Amino acid sequence: MVKIDLAKFLKRYDLSFFVMTGCILIVGVVNLYSATHATSFAGIYRLQIYKYLFALFIGILVSFIRPKTLYRYSYLLYVLNIIFLILVLVVGKNAQGAQRWLELGGPIRFQPSEMMKVTLILALGKWFTKNYPDRPLGLRNLTIPLLMSFIPAGLIIVEPDLGTGLTILLVFAFIVFYRKLKWKSILILGLLGLITGSFMYQFGLKEYQKKRIITFLDPQSDARGSGYNAIQSVIAIGSGQLLGKGLKKSSQASLNYLPENHTDFAFSVFNEEHGFVGSVILIALYVSLFLRFVWLSISVLKIFDSIVAMGLMSILFWHTFINMGMVTGLLPIVGLPLPFISYGGSSLVIFMVCCGMATSISNSRNLF
Amino acid sequence: MFAEEEIVKSHRLRATGLGNIVLIAFGIILSRLWYLQIYHGQLYLEYSLKNRLRKEIIRAPRGMLYDRNGVLLVNNVPRFDATITPQYIKNKKLTFKRLANILDMKAQSIYKIMAKNSTLPRYKSIVIKKNISRREVAIIETENDQLPGVSVDTFISREYIDKEVGAHVFGYISEINSGQLPKFKKSSAFDYKQGDFIGQFGLEEKWDLNLRGTNGFEFVEVDALGRKKRHIGNDNLFKGIEGLPSRPGKNANLSIDRRMQLAAYEALGDWVGSVVAVKVDTGEVLAMVSKPSFDPSQFSRGLTSEYWNSLVSNDKNPLRDRTVQEHYSPGSTFKLVTAITALEEGIIDPQTELFCNGSLTLGRKTYHCWRKLGHGKVNMTKAIQQSCNIYFQKLAKKMDIDVLAKYAQMLGFGTKTEVGLPREVSGLIPTKEWKFKRNGVPWQLGETLSCAIGQSYILASPLQLAMAYSVIANGGTLYRPYIVKRISSNTGKGDEVFNPEVVRHVQFKPSTIDTIKNGLFAVVNRPGGTAYGSRGSGIRMAGKTGTSQVIRMSKEKLFAKCEKNPYKIRNHGVFVAYLPANDPKIAVSVVIEHGCHGASSAAPIAKKVGEVYMKHYQSQLQQKIFDIEKKERALHLAIQQKIKEEEEEDW
Repeated sequence: MVKIDLAKFLKRYDLSFFVMTGCILIVGVVNLYSATHATSFAGIYRLQIYKYLFALFIGILVSFIRPKTLYRYSYLLYVLNIIFLILVLVVGKNAQGAQRWLELGGPIRFQPSEMMKVTLILALGKWFTKNYPDRPLGLRNLTIPLLMSFIPAGLIIVEPDLGTGLTILLVFAFIVFYRKLKWKSILILGLLGLITGSFMYQFGLKEYQKKRIITFLDPQSDARGSGYNAIQSVIAIGSGQLLGKGLKKSSQASLNYLPENHTDFAFSVFNEEHGFVGSVILIALYVSLFLRFVWLSISVLKIFDSIVAMGLMSILFWHTFINMGMVTGLLPIVGLPLPFISYGGSSLVIFMVCCGMATSISNSRNLF
Repeated sequence: MFAEEEIVKSHRLRATGLGNIVLIAFGIILSRLWYLQIYHGQLYLEYSLKNRLRKEIIRAPRGMLYDRNGVLLVNNVPRFDATITPQYIKNKKLTFKRLANILDMKAQSIYKIMAKNSTLPRYKSIVIKKNISRREVAIIETENDQLPGVSVDTFISREYIDKEVGAHVFGYISEINSGQLPKFKKSSAFDYKQGDFIGQFGLEEKWDLNLRGTNGFEFVEVDALGRKKRHIGNDNLFKGIEGLPSRPGKNANLSIDRRMQLAAYEALGDWVGSVVAVKVDTGEVLAMVSKPSFDPSQFSRGLTSEYWNSLVSNDKNPLRDRTVQEHYSPGSTFKLVTAITALEEGIIDPQTELFCNGSLTLGRKTYHCWRKLGHGKVNMTKAIQQSCNIYFQKLAKKMDIDVLAKYAQMLGFGTKTEVGLPREVSGLIPTKEWKFKRNGVPWQLGETLSCAIGQSYILASPLQLAMAYSVIANGGTLYRPYIVKRISSNTGKGDEVFNPEVVRHVQFKPSTIDTIKNGLFAVVNRPGGTAYGSRGSGIRMAGKTGTSQVIRMSKEKLFAKCEKNPYKIRNHGVFVAYLPANDPKIAVSVVIEHGCHGASSAAPIAKKVGEVYMKHYQSQLQQKIFDIEKKERALHLAIQQKIKEEEEEDW
């Protein structure tokens, strides 16, 4: 019988991840309130608070699952998730339209593609722990991890959800880089990815599929009009100047891309209202969170924990970077949310699960 | 354990590398933000205050409809709406007052409209008055400076050249309603959007995807007062943003002949009913009108509630297409099927005579002929000519209802014709199985007797009747009727031509077809024929009259004068014909609701439609028939003269 000393436990429970994300969450709620107060979405922030609380609850639950347990079930979770992805394609086709969701009855819906990001990291973590953990990898060693990543990525792109599919490949790239891939292999892999990617887009997809993918990712307009949202976003951000226009002073409400200013374009509202100073502070919060993950990955005792920590960081990082890049006009507009700031529940739960797992890994050094 | 810790430690360099990637990535974001917010901040601030880029949809012109000779039937015309964009209004009171003056309405009603739409975003324009005159447009445009926030929106409205004539065939378009939107999104390859106009009836509905074209869009720069600048400024910010031109919808060439269509509509007069004319050897629909009708132009011009209410509250239901969306008891016109069945199944020989004494008793029920005293001895030709009920009911006694149904189905009864109009009805041909399923009671012989003369359960649409008579007229081919002959775009790409489609060939004995043709000819052209009154000069019709009972009538009522009955229970008049009788080209079916008799109400209308056809397509033949008839009349006169003389001599 292990007696758990509650006081001791709380003392050793690593709160840093939840505290840091909490700070960003507060910014998110205030921003959401400000962005929507003058629109038909007013009041939506209250709903978002409930979603935050629910996601936080899930995150804390996950933080009590020991990394050992995750390690044990990681392949099983991975396979289950793949099955769910296939199921979504089959059932989704019958239902016409929503192909990303699995209806579990009532209001509960489940989006396997979001979950896939996490289960893939766990599975890759396990594989890399078991295989060649101590030497640099060549391309030939990578066959299985490549398959493990490309199968779900392909299934998700077919859904079609190009944004999430590509994120999965980027996360995979981060992990492989971290797991000491030979420099030569990195180069070859990068080139190969570039060539197949562009080849697929040029010849693999039919014209209407391309258009469908683009309009799907950016429903407001089609291929040639998509510059419009980006430019409006850039104007909004630029007009914020050094200190911003102040809370609730965003002119976004008068612009035409209203339906998205609380989701994918939340960051441009934030920038317009709080200016350069505000965004420096927000980015500092994000960067410190990511560095906390990096620090965690090299302060743990197990290879699995280390790889998973880095993988979780890369999920959050890529979402943040791509979203910020697209609203500032650096990257094409693909529909990825900004973690903790954009409105929405399903992705938020996954981001919180990431924090929960990190906390659990951190705790495992001290508690057990 | 120790080794594993070492391995983790050995990753430190890569971890630092990834940490640096994170720092560099956000360094890029921050420098971009610095560039936008500090370096160009003032510029963007000015943009956000003074200029707006607005995306405007360019609506694609809908395809036009032409008749078979290339005459324009449905067209597009520009229409103007006066709108207000709340965002740009400076002085509410003054603006509303001025606008109210121009539009000849009360300022109060503008407030009301604005209040109704107060939940919309402020940049969205609100329509104040639809379909304003050119004069009003001109005033608003010239007083633009004094009316900030007021603008004139243009869009293309649908114009139906002949208004009510053929409205049911062409259909109408109106704004997609919120209930339809999700349905269309799911079921169609086309991306329908809120505010789109879609076909809601007739050909407009059925061919919407072809007719609608693809909307384009353009970007316009507007100043702080919402006034458009003609072109996007040539500075670097908005450069390179292109619009997309709209692609007009495809035009459709119809098989309809406008002249026949107009003639049919006019001939219907004040009757409630419908006319269908088809080409017997192709299935092309030449004319298709239903009355009462509606003006489809009204729908795309923004339907007024008064007009809508007048349509909905009208108990004659102008919105129903009586040619395909309504079915009737075909009455005696269905004797065609009974005759075919009897001749093909060998139940009777064409020359065999049966006796009609005016009634027929089966069990406890007595069936009456329409002529109280009966027709005496009649053979097949005479029975058709005089529409003797008892003759056909005597044949029906020897018939199995399922056999009758088989022949009816061969002629296209009981199934949709697939003419390509929405909500077509299939009519009804009963069978034993059908009745047992429906009522749980077996079929009775008495019902066969009623069915044999087109009453009881049997239902057919006017179009089905025309198609069935076409089969006899062309010697045994059932075609699929069709209206759209060609779909063509301005570019000539993706043109489609539609050709006649044979549904089935029926193999009737030549003698059967000859006997029936003789009978049908006699109906119109021999003394004693039920439609002898509609025999024409220059036109040789063959046809069959019918009377469709609205309710079951007692004997007294049956022989009472129909016109004296209340309107609602008067019989429907039916007449189906083909012409010219010796070389049939077209078939016409006319159904007049509560018209009492087919001969008096429906047949004259068919004749008028036929005359228009003869005039335009068979003028030579018509002339010949004229000449023959002249000779006949002369001969007739001569004979009369001779008889008279002989009689005088005898005397």
